[in-house]
Amino acid sequence: MIDALFNQPGYLGAKRMLDASVARHDAIASNIANAEMPHYRRVDLAPSFRTELQNAIAGKDVARLNSLRPQVIPDARALATNLDGNTVDLEHELIEMSQNTLENTIQTRFVSGALAKIRLAITGKS
Amino acid sequence: MINCISSLASTTGALDAERTRLAVIAQNIANANTTRGVDGHAYRRQQVVFDTVLQHARNPNGGQESSSVPRVSRVVDDPRVGSAIYQPGHKDADAKGMVLLPNVDLYTEQADMIVASRAYEANVAVFKNGRSMAMQALSIGKR
Repeated sequence: MIDALFNQPGYLGAKRMLDASVARHDAIASNIANAEMPHYRRVDLAPSFRTELQNAIAGKDVARLNSLRPQVIPDARALATNLDGNTVDLEHELIEMSQNTLENTIQTRFVSGALAKIRLAITGKS
Repeated sequence: MINCISSLASTTGALDAERTRLAVIAQNIANANTTRGVDGHAYRRQQVVFDTVLQHARNPNGGQESSSVPRVSRVVDDPRVGSAIYQPGHKDADAKGMVLLPNVDLYTEQADMIVASRAYEANVAVFKNGRSMAMQALSIGKR
């Protein structure tokens, strides 16, 4: 019965997005660490993950939201800017990292807010 | 050990590698005028060679996760020959009075140094961001 509290699509969606932002940070960290490694190909979240997550949130599909796991794969669209075959652009990665950290902040606030609402409903105090 | 901050392995590896690279550059610059090294010849410029090792770890979702960790695999001599100057009175001059100088180019070293320190800073930024994300995760549900 208590499961229903934590299985609201919005809350689950925020949780999955939080997972995704942590996985994305891993990917960016790996890209920046290997920024000067010849033939290294940058990795990122699979584009299919983003669309699937959006569809699951829009369709309020709780089962799908529960089973969705972020996947990190080599970025096929990135092109090498110099001859060593490395597809990492350091400035681009740093900007993406800042943006991702901000997204992570928003998602933690959202999850905290959802928990605070449940607490308010139980205790009557915020 | 609890792995609070994700992706530490590759960031640590990169910081380590870049610092080794900076140390090698420092050594090159310091020895830019050394005409007699420990082996009795003019100093030879050192170069770092990077490579990647795959490190496997179990992620919280139960799957295998591998991260590419950069490292300095070895430090090699730069095979190019340095320039020679005519200075007959010099202690290290050969029979014709030529002194072989180290093959260190200060401009190349300084450019490399800037690249290495930028890469180092970028990895420090990654660590700081990872730490702030971990702190935020810890504060979930706090009033």
